Amino acid sequence: MKNQYFAGVDIGSTMTKVVIMNQRVLAEVIGPTGPEHRKLANRVMEEALTRASLSFDDITYVVATGYGRINVPFADKQITEISCHARGVSHLLPGVRTVIDIGGQDSKAIKLKDGRAVDFVMNDKCAAGTGRFLEVTAEGLGVKLEDMGRLSLEAKNRAEIGSTCTVFAAQEVVSKLSEGVPLPDIIAGLHEAIASRIYGMARRLKIEREVALTGGGAKNIGLVRALEAKFGYPVLVPPEPLLTGAIGAALLGKDMVKKAEEKGETLPRSERRLTEASIFE
Amino acid sequence: MIYVAGIDIGSAFSKAVVMAENKVISYYVILSAGDYRLAADEVAGKARGKAKLSLADIGYTVATGYGAASVSFAAEVVSDISADGRGVIYLFPSARTVIDIGGQFTKVFKIDERGRPTAFLLSEKCAAGSGRFLQIIARVLQVELKDIGKLSLKSKKKVDFNTGCAVFAESEAISRIAEGALKEDILAGLHRTLAAKIETMAERVGIEPDCALIGGGAKDIGLVKSIEERLGRRLLLSEEPQIVAALGAALIAGEKVSH
Repeated sequence: MKNQYFAGVDIGSTMTKVVIMNQRVLAEVIGPTGPEHRKLANRVMEEALTRASLSFDDITYVVATGYGRINVPFADKQITEISCHARGVSHLLPGVRTVIDIGGQDSKAIKLKDGRAVDFVMNDKCAAGTGRFLEVTAEGLGVKLEDMGRLSLEAKNRAEIGSTCTVFAAQEVVSKLSEGVPLPDIIAGLHEAIASRIYGMARRLKIEREVALTGGGAKNIGLVRALEAKFGYPVLVPPEPLLTGAIGAALLGKDMVKKAEEKGETLPRSERRLTEASIFE
Repeated sequence: MIYVAGIDIGSAFSKAVVMAENKVISYYVILSAGDYRLAADEVAGKARGKAKLSLADIGYTVATGYGAASVSFAAEVVSDISADGRGVIYLFPSARTVIDIGGQFTKVFKIDERGRPTAFLLSEKCAAGSGRFLQIIARVLQVELKDIGKLSLKSKKKVDFNTGCAVFAESEAISRIAEGALKEDILAGLHRTLAAKIETMAERVGIEPDCALIGGGAKDIGLVKSIEERLGRRLLLSEEPQIVAALGAALIAGEKVSH
């Protein structure tokens, strides 16, 4: 498997992530998914190839994952984000038994055994408890999403957010602000609200240590702290939590090729051409 | 003649009804616009003005709704379902179930022959079943709230939504527009989503004939049709479904002065 390269493409609702790996990650690209994710998959792939100084023909196997995975026509295989997150986490943080993935439009808790997903729970029905909750409320407060974590650490007296619904919470925080409640206290309250939702969901699985957090939500230090307070112990976060699924996808591709080679088989591959998926197919 | 007033301060709209001898003399509806105290003064003043009355002419005022506590000139505050029930029975003596689609919440409740609530359910946790959902979608589609009902009736193609969540439906509506779906088809799809949510609530409470539909949501003819379709029955609708709680509050005020 020496000169073999593997690509993982993770098209999330909010961000698109691509990695190219052999023994280690050679290139990574993260970009906003935007409304035109059909075109985007090619662009990020091209960008990753340039960064790795490789041509598309050099890539042995391409695995796509995430909610937009069917829109990656050049992928050799589509694999669910549950399997990819499980594989990614067990590679990055061996020994983890529970993964909590906080994405832009859903959140999931995955239970691992021997590096494989054995059970999971998911919320994609309601924006509360997903990254969307923070996105919408941050906008209402006029705060950048990436500043929410840092700001919340300055809280002295955490505000109570009574609304579960994202729509009502966005309204509630604006009135709290006008009542003079300090911004850090409000943001800390929002983190507590989303942490409660996620913890409530994750508890449906029997949570076992170690616990890892992945996805965009894991980049928010305030949310990580709020979840740690719920669990009662520290959680692990990979160096780039957004890339977990893409890394897992590339590694699953590598596993498949290895297995096929051992059996003396060749896996079917898509044409190595970067094309756009069309909605008229 | 003794005049009485009912003031309903909702999250989105404020309404006032002036009555005398069990008859409506005048009414008025304005946007609450975030300041309930101001809205209460304005809407009550407008309703009195229409009847050429001054504050001193009003013998008794009852307030209700989300911002009822901000009605400084009210003698009494009653719960919104009490006011709703009273107003519904006045309009429809046969009604035993009420669906109230307000700006913030949807309520489904049963009433007895005197309009007293017996069992009720409130969608307080979620914007999905409320008028708020319609406000969000109207903004996204750049259609006026009052026009969405009529527009949705023009729908010829079924567009279904994957989500019941107001936040996710907003993004889904945006993608559908990008894919070229027509506004009327999107609206009809969202009406079906909202109607399904309301049906779930109605099933939990149990619908008993006859059922009245009130609140601002009842002014949306597309939504009314969708709910009727889901529930498989015709609903009782008044000409001004938005003022039913204010009317009920005024009726309660009227009882106070007649004793």
